[in-house]
Amino acid sequence: MQIFAVLLALLLAPLAATAELLDFSAAEWSRIVRHGPWPPPFKPDPSNRVSGKPDAVILGRTLFFETRLATDRSLSCARCHDPALGWSESRARSEGRAALDRNTPSLLDVRLRRWFGWDGGNDNLWATSLRPILDPREFAASVSSVAALLRGDAKLSACYARAFGRNAGEVDDEALAIDAAKALAAFQETIDSARTPFDDFRDALDRGDRETAARLPVAAQRGVRLFVGKGNCAFCHLGPAFTNGEFHSIGIPFFTAAGADGGRHAGIKSLQASKLTLLGPWNDAPELAAGTATRHVELQHRNFGEFRVPGLRDVARTEPYMHDGSLATLREVVKHYSDFDPERLHGDGEAILVPLKLDDSEIDDLLAFLAALSPTVPPPDASSGPRCE
Amino acid sequence: MRSLASSVLILLAALGAAEACEPPRLEASTRIEGKRHVLLYRSVPSPPPLNTAFGIEIAICAKDGASVAAPRVEAWMPAHRHGMNYRPSVAVKSPGLFRADGLLLHMPGRWEFVFELGGERLTATHDLD
Repeated sequence: MQIFAVLLALLLAPLAATAELLDFSAAEWSRIVRHGPWPPPFKPDPSNRVSGKPDAVILGRTLFFETRLATDRSLSCARCHDPALGWSESRARSEGRAALDRNTPSLLDVRLRRWFGWDGGNDNLWATSLRPILDPREFAASVSSVAALLRGDAKLSACYARAFGRNAGEVDDEALAIDAAKALAAFQETIDSARTPFDDFRDALDRGDRETAARLPVAAQRGVRLFVGKGNCAFCHLGPAFTNGEFHSIGIPFFTAAGADGGRHAGIKSLQASKLTLLGPWNDAPELAAGTATRHVELQHRNFGEFRVPGLRDVARTEPYMHDGSLATLREVVKHYSDFDPERLHGDGEAILVPLKLDDSEIDDLLAFLAALSPTVPPPDASSGPRCE
Repeated sequence: MRSLASSVLILLAALGAAEACEPPRLEASTRIEGKRHVLLYRSVPSPPPLNTAFGIEIAICAKDGASVAAPRVEAWMPAHRHGMNYRPSVAVKSPGLFRADGLLLHMPGRWEFVFELGGERLTATHDLD
């Protein structure tokens, strides 16, 4: 009988271990719950009249995998934004027709952003979709070549007519290229990250269901506590998408072979020189997408070397990390925040960003939490939907 | 003697008037009393949201009775030693009444609203969690 009791205790021990819920304070509870719910409902982008329209998504998906958009037909959007790699790539720095200075940013949850690209050089998804197509270092195409493709290919032409309600032959080159970018944006708005074990934990906390919340491994719970507490991570990686969408210098060098990457400083200058913004003539609903942030963004000295705070959902799939892909693994990223050199930060930068001096177990806990931001089942494959036929 | 006392009383009354003024009415607002101005403000929406653009309605009067120009508005995180990434625009709605737009508080924590007007700097703190 005594042996039976011991065996029973041993059998139940793992259950008891997995059923532990840390004694989160009310403040921690509140900060954790702020990272949800997930997913947020879809809201069409008012600046893009085909946002959310299925026919535009089909055209956009087709164009996303279309190598004929590039002058030499060697590149497509999917070459660098690989669906299997969190819509990013494994190379540290992108390579188009020439070597580039930055890592390819993931497109997961891109519809939720305020600014696009590592430097926020665009304030909308359609303009940022057109940028690599026209960049001589990437697709090296022109509005004329994009327009010629849409007009000359019967399937694309028919697809365009369904999506936009007009014939490609009746539209001038620039408008047609921007429409192509708007279709690409409509497709990318469907690239959502799936729910994760963290979301089940967060929702359980929110409804007071301690038993379900306790299913998150204790190491990950300790990692959450670090994330919203000592780590100060949630100051910038805030909200359901785990980003405030703004820009910070975090001590990653920004020197390049050609000199320096100005980051947000260069991004604001580029934004203010562009006519493809929410303040420009191609915004389809300026009364709804007023461009308030664009109108008020301020160029400051500290913007030099700042880069966009990336979201953390499904982050394990998008290595390498940082704007220049200089950190190969998530462990390196956490160790960076633990040990970085404060001398590399701007004097007028973020004062609360200090080396965390984490011990090995704390690093493991943060990694366990970041792992809990990966879905347990693959997200719906946005790349496998219908294409123009 | 009576004439001197009257003069002193009149002077005191005048000084008292110079130390008080009433800004245009602004419901559900926060009041800041400066040496030279009284300022009422309320965020729209209220309370100010985290990481979303919002506006501030402002009512001001000058204690010396002078007309008031549009204030300069900013927000600052003292503990972080940085402000916003945005410069608000300020429009005059009517004499003494203003509207600032384009504020965006991109981090949780303690923020300080700063109103600069006529050489005076008025501040108020908001904890954003």
